[in-house]
Parts: sequence; structure tokens; C-alpha cells
Amino acid sequence: MLDPNLVPTIDPNPLPAPYWVFKLLLVVTFFLHITAMNCMLGGAGLALFARWRGRTSAYGSRIFLDIAKKVPTLLAATITLGIAPLLFVQVLYGQYIYTSSIVMAWPWFLVILLLMFAYYGFYFVAYKGEKKPAAAGKVMLFSIALCLIIGFIYSNNFTLSQTPATWAQKYLSNPTGWNLNLTEPTLIPRYLHFMVSAVAVGGLLLVMVAWANWKRDEEYAKAIFHLGGKAFLYATMAQYVVGSWFLMSLPREMRLLFMGDNPLATGLFGFGFLGAGVAIMLMSRAVRTANIKLAGITVTGLTAAIILSMSVMRETLRDAYLKPWHHPQEMAVSTQWSPMIGFLVLFVAGIVLWFIMLKRYGFFKREA
Amino acid sequence: MNYPVWDVAFGAGLLMALVAGIHVFVSHFAVGGGLFLILTEIKARRAGDTALLGWLKAHTKFFVLLTVVFGAVTGVGIWFTIGLISPTATSDLIHIYVWGWAIEWVFFFLEISAALFYLYGWDKLEPKVHQWYGWIYFWTAFASMVVINGIITFMLTPGKWIEDHQFWTGFFNPTYWPSLAFRFCLSLSLAGIYALITASLIKDADLKARIVRWASLWTVPTLLLLPLCAKWYIGRIPADLWASAQGAMPTGSRYAIYAVGFLGVTLLLALVALVMPRRLHIAFALIVAVAALGAMDSFEFVRESVRKPYVIANYLYANSLYSSAIPGDGGFTVPGVNQTGVLNAARFISTRTITPANQVAVGHEIFRVECQACHTPTGYRGIHQLVEKRQWDPDKVHAMLGGIYLMHNGVMPDFAGTDAERDALVAYVNSLQTIHPAEIADGHEVYERNCGMCHQVKATDHLFSNLPRDPQAATDALKDLTSLFPVMPDLKLPEGERRALVAWVNTQRAAFPAPAAPAKGGN
Repeated sequence: MLDPNLVPTIDPNPLPAPYWVFKLLLVVTFFLHITAMNCMLGGAGLALFARWRGRTSAYGSRIFLDIAKKVPTLLAATITLGIAPLLFVQVLYGQYIYTSSIVMAWPWFLVILLLMFAYYGFYFVAYKGEKKPAAAGKVMLFSIALCLIIGFIYSNNFTLSQTPATWAQKYLSNPTGWNLNLTEPTLIPRYLHFMVSAVAVGGLLLVMVAWANWKRDEEYAKAIFHLGGKAFLYATMAQYVVGSWFLMSLPREMRLLFMGDNPLATGLFGFGFLGAGVAIMLMSRAVRTANIKLAGITVTGLTAAIILSMSVMRETLRDAYLKPWHHPQEMAVSTQWSPMIGFLVLFVAGIVLWFIMLKRYGFFKREA
Repeated sequence: MNYPVWDVAFGAGLLMALVAGIHVFVSHFAVGGGLFLILTEIKARRAGDTALLGWLKAHTKFFVLLTVVFGAVTGVGIWFTIGLISPTATSDLIHIYVWGWAIEWVFFFLEISAALFYLYGWDKLEPKVHQWYGWIYFWTAFASMVVINGIITFMLTPGKWIEDHQFWTGFFNPTYWPSLAFRFCLSLSLAGIYALITASLIKDADLKARIVRWASLWTVPTLLLLPLCAKWYIGRIPADLWASAQGAMPTGSRYAIYAVGFLGVTLLLALVALVMPRRLHIAFALIVAVAALGAMDSFEFVRESVRKPYVIANYLYANSLYSSAIPGDGGFTVPGVNQTGVLNAARFISTRTITPANQVAVGHEIFRVECQACHTPTGYRGIHQLVEKRQWDPDKVHAMLGGIYLMHNGVMPDFAGTDAERDALVAYVNSLQTIHPAEIADGHEVYERNCGMCHQVKATDHLFSNLPRDPQAATDALKDLTSLFPVMPDLKLPEGERRALVAWVNTQRAAFPAPAAPAKGGN
């Protein structure tokens, strides 16, 4: 039987806007964060792979350096875009996230240290990669390993936050915070689901880099395109295995949400399942026919839509897990109109300014 | 009690101080340093000083690697850490100020983007366009400070928010403006101080001297302004909070002295650098930075100390109990927990009944949920050290626990829980010390062990003003403290100790300056 006392009482301050506003912001910003993370980690991984393969094929170290120089900026984007979903998830699910974080406090805290080392490692590779190639390879591997550990800690915490029934036993057996959530059956497939998607999206990052180089140096661009396109293909194919494993590891009632019980979840799952198949076919054709636009526009757009739908599915799954404790309709709401409008105005103005910054830097210039 | 408490052996508070202490030193540099970059670029271009521009380019790299990586990651680190250590306060703040944080996030995103464009744009962009990115960087970084300052100062002085619960009332609270002035001034000082670090590595002595003089223009005037900002700041702190920051333990007033001392040292060192600009060595530049770090962190400790016993003043105690009953508090107030008991109120606790066999273990759990937000058993602010040196036997610990809210001018919340729970906590505290029973002959020692937590050696203190002057009458009066003053702990000191205490108190009183003549109509 569930002990309702296991979940902390939410604090007395009402939500400063309706629940759906934060849910929408959470989904949108999580989508942005996870896309940046995928580009960063997948890009770094593929750069290292290119270098390793470079011993037998041309362009290996050039691709490595080209991508490695972009990784620190992509990590900055990952972190910056990660702050917003971390904020909004606390607004709606604070009592779960804080508790699970405390239960595994040290690993969660160590994320900060690991991230710092990974970040400086990536900068080292970006700045010193040319002059110190041997060290750069090792440092890149080290930083990627740290990012993989960070991802694993995240998967532990977010699965733990959804299973309040396991908290007390874990916490009371070790209140010093040296816990993980290794007994959770969905942990490994969920983690792999994210990491494999990083390889696929990292592949798309390479497609974009190829596109940017298409007119300048076609042979080189094709080599990157080939690597990125194939990475996308293999990773997305692997996702069928990992995704199925993830689905099968879910408790029965949650699995059935995606198989008819919940029309929205089922529709999104169907879209993701079929969409991934279509993406594989299109990318396969794009690589075969060297059609960069097909890969850069259609496959990338389709993949973005799939990631967005997965972000919604993730919320559906979280709510299903927390159903016994989480009752959004019971949460008090008292909208803070002027700060909320202030945020929305600044958010839109910020996006506009950001695009102007990109434009003035020359990002949208057509090549002569 | 509502949340589990992370048991950090060396002290969760210390961990928080470490993370925040290093973050603020870089995050303030990120604001002032941004203005420094852009104004130095304009100055160098106007003067056609290519050497200065060359240094500034390298300094930008240092700036970005420090602020965008270390500053940003430790900033996220503060979020992680407050959620782990003060989840209730974090949850309150998130619900009250999520829009503030969301606005800050927009600025932060633009700030990081602009910093990277500015760094990578040195060789790529026209000077005007490059400077445009510099200005965007500075203004968005400043805007981040403008926003976060409202939330930080809210915690210290929520002001009328306690009554109206309005976003802007709490945001533009009594210490908002002085704190903003103080922090911005400090950020400009830090811009100059950090510039000394990279300037010290330059081989060209003329260039080095030019930069040191320019950096001093940032550091010296702002360091001189800081005491004024601090005075304004302190003046806006409510008297009762400021009073609680003065006492025997390391308190706000003591950290304020450290802050002034470190500021003085920083100023002195900055002037030395200005006198010998060509000879600036990296070690010296780092010493200046360490002195500034000392000043900055002492200031943050003043703020934290003044706020005690609250984490949000007059609203939430550091141990996550609300200071008065409010709708939706879940019973997590001192009276609420007195009624239900800690063992029933706390969620994450393994034993909910007390037996003679488990009393110490249960006491440990009560300690964890009620005291460990600030204390540890034997580490940072360790109870072992606090009781061992005072040699409090269990009766004394029990009596003292009844009045902890009076100690050190009220830096702790009252004990919450049933009598049996208090006994269990006493048993646990007692397990942390070794008692060596012996009567104390030194009156000062008797005072330090038994009285100094609440009383202060001054003429206006009740002990020194109200205790009878006649030694025998005073010794007898101290026999029953609760009849002297009902809130006093019921300590039973042996007659010899009382006599020694009275003798010492009388010696102190004799040394006090004569009181001023009472005003007419005064009482």
C-alpha cells in the first residue's frame, strides 16, 4: 500500500500562472535543451570517431578539429538551455525532484564538478587540438566520458523522482546521499535511449556542417555528410531496439498508455515510431544520392518533430508514474500577471535580438 | 522535516558557503568585467593603442573561460546545492519568483551568446559591430544582476511582502537598492582586480603600467565607495535583525569587521600596484584578488548571519519550519510540531516511537531533521565542540534546549517537538561529549559555560543590570533562575559556582562606565 506521507507537502505559495503555462514552457525548453545536448555529445562523439577512423581515411583529423571547435559553444547552449526546464520542472514537480535529488545528493552534486572538468576539457581540445593532437584525443575522450556519467546521473535522478515509493528505503539506509537508482528496471534502456539519440542528432549536426561547407569544399563536405548521415542511420536503427527495450521495461499500465490507453500518447508514439522509419529511408536516399538538402531540411525537420513529440511523451509518462500523488487540479494558482507578461515580452524580444546577433555575425550570409 | 535532510558529515552549510563563495567572486566579475572590456576596447581604438588591444583580446579569452564556464557552472551549482540543502526555501522561492528567474534566464542566455560572439568576433567583425556585442553583453549581464538582486535581498528583507505577498513588493524590498549599488560597485572593483592578473603576465613594462593605471581607475574609487554602500545597506536592515547579528559567536557584526578589513587590505594593495605599475608580479596580483575574495565573502557572510535564524526573514527558519502558522504550511511550524511531535511530522524518519533502548538513535534522527541544516555532530558548527567545552550535563542540555531561541540574540529557532523528543535529543547530544564533573572556581569560566550564550558583558544586559549587588543576595537569587525571569533555563549551579560568578559579575560591573543621567520622564 502507498504511504501518502512519503511525498513532501508542496509549499504554501500558489503557482504564479496556470499549470498548463509551466507545462508548455517545460516541454518547449526541455526540447531545446535536449536538442543542444544531443548535438554537443553526439557531435563530440562523432568527432572522436572521425579522428580514430582518420588513420585509415582522409579528413579524419580535419573533421575532428572542425567539430571539436564547436563543442564548447554547444555545451554552453546545453547548459544555458537546461536552466529553463530545470526551473519549470521545479515549479510543477519540486517536491519530487528535490527529494530524489537529496536521496542521491552526492552524485547529483558531483554533476557540477564533472561538468566543469568536461567543459574545460572541451575548450582545451578546441584551442590546443591542432598543436597537441595526441593530448587532444585523450582529453576529448575524457570529457565525453564525463558527459556520459552526467547523463547517467540525470537518468538516475529523473527515474527516481518518479518513484516515491522507493525513496524512504534508499534514504534511510544511506542518508549521506551516496545512492543511485540502479534497481530501476527502466534506468538502462531510458539512459541508452537518450545517448543513442545523441549519436543520431550528432549525425545531423555533421550534416549541417557539411551543408555549410558544401560550396566551399565539396569533397570535404561529402566526407562529413557521409559520416553524419550514416551515424544518423545506424543510431536511429538502433533506437528501434533500445526504444522497444525501454517500452517493455515500463510497468504494464504505463506501457499500455502508448498502445491505445491514452490517445495522445499512442498517437505521439505512433508518429515517433513511423517517423523514425521514414527518417531512415529519407536519410538513406540522401546519403546515396548526396542530396544534402533532403538530409538538412526534411530529415532534420522530421527528427525535430519526433524529439518534440518524445518530450511530450516524457511528460505523459511522468504524470502516469506520479498519478497517485500528483494532482495538478488541486494546486493553488494565483497568476502574477505583470511579471509573467514581462517574461513573455522579454522572451520574444530576446529571441529577436538573438537572431539579430546571429545575422550581424554573418550566420545567414549566402556564400558568393 | 517535510523533506529528507542531506547528512553531510563536514556540514551542508559549509558546502553551500563554498559553492556560493566562489561563484559570487566570478559572477560579479562577469558584470563589471563586461563594462571593462567594452570601455577598454573603445579607449584602445580611439588611442590607436594596438598593444592594449592585443592584451584585451587575450583578456577576453580569460574572461570568457572564467565567467562562461566557471561562473555559469557554479551558478547552476548554487541551484543544485540550495535544492539539496534548503528544499523548502527553494520551493517557496521558486513559486514566488519563478518569473523573476525566467526573466533572468532570458538575460543570461543573451549574455552568454554575446560573450561568445564578442570573443570569437575579435578577428572577424568590424570594430563597431564588435563593440555592439560588447554592449549587449554588458547590459544583459547587468540586467541579470538587477533581477537576481531582488530575489537575494528578498530573503533578507522581505518587507511588506509578508503581508501582501505581491511579487514587486518583495522584489523592491528595503535592501534592494543599497544591495544593487554595493554589488555593482564591487563588480567594477573586481573588473580592475582581475585585469591586474592578466596584466601581470605582460612582458612589455610600458603596456603593463598603462593597464595597471587604467585598472586602478576601476578599483580604487569603487573600493572607496563600497563602505558608503555598506552603511546605506546596513541602515535598511530592520533593527531587530541587525540586533540578532551581534553577539558572542561569529556574527554579522564580526563578519562586517572582516569585510572592512579585507576591503582596506585590497585598497592598500591596489594602491601599491598603482605606485609600482611596471613591477606588478602575478603573485602580487593574485594576493590582491584573494584579499578581494575575502572582502566579498565576508560581505556575503554578513548577509547570511544577519538573516539568522531565518532563510527567508520572518517567514521561514533555516531548519525549514515556518516562523508562524500560515495556510498551507502543512503543520511545519514550531507550535505545529510541538503538537504533532517531530516523529509524526517528519516524513523521512526510521523510528516513530521512543524507547529507552533507541533513545539516542531517535535523538540523532531528531537532530538531523531539526538541527542539521546548520549544525553537524562533530564537524562544522559541531555540537560536540559546543557542548564539550561547556561541559553541560544532560540536565543542563535539557534546560538550555528550552531557551535556544534566546541564545546569541536569537540566531536559532525554538526547539520544536514533544518533551519525550527533547529528552531523546538531549540523550543524543550527551552521547557526543564526555563530562568531567568538577566544580569551577573561576567566575568568568562559570559565565562562559552557562551564561555567555544569551548574555553579553555590557551594562544594559539583564544579568549585569538586574542582579542584586550584594554578593549573598545575588548568590541566593541565582539559585532559582526561572523565578528571576520566567524564560531563563532552569539551571542548578552549585553554590560555589554561583558565588564565583557573582564575584566576577561585580568586578565587571565596577568597570562599566557610569550610566548617563536618565532623561526627564524616562523610566
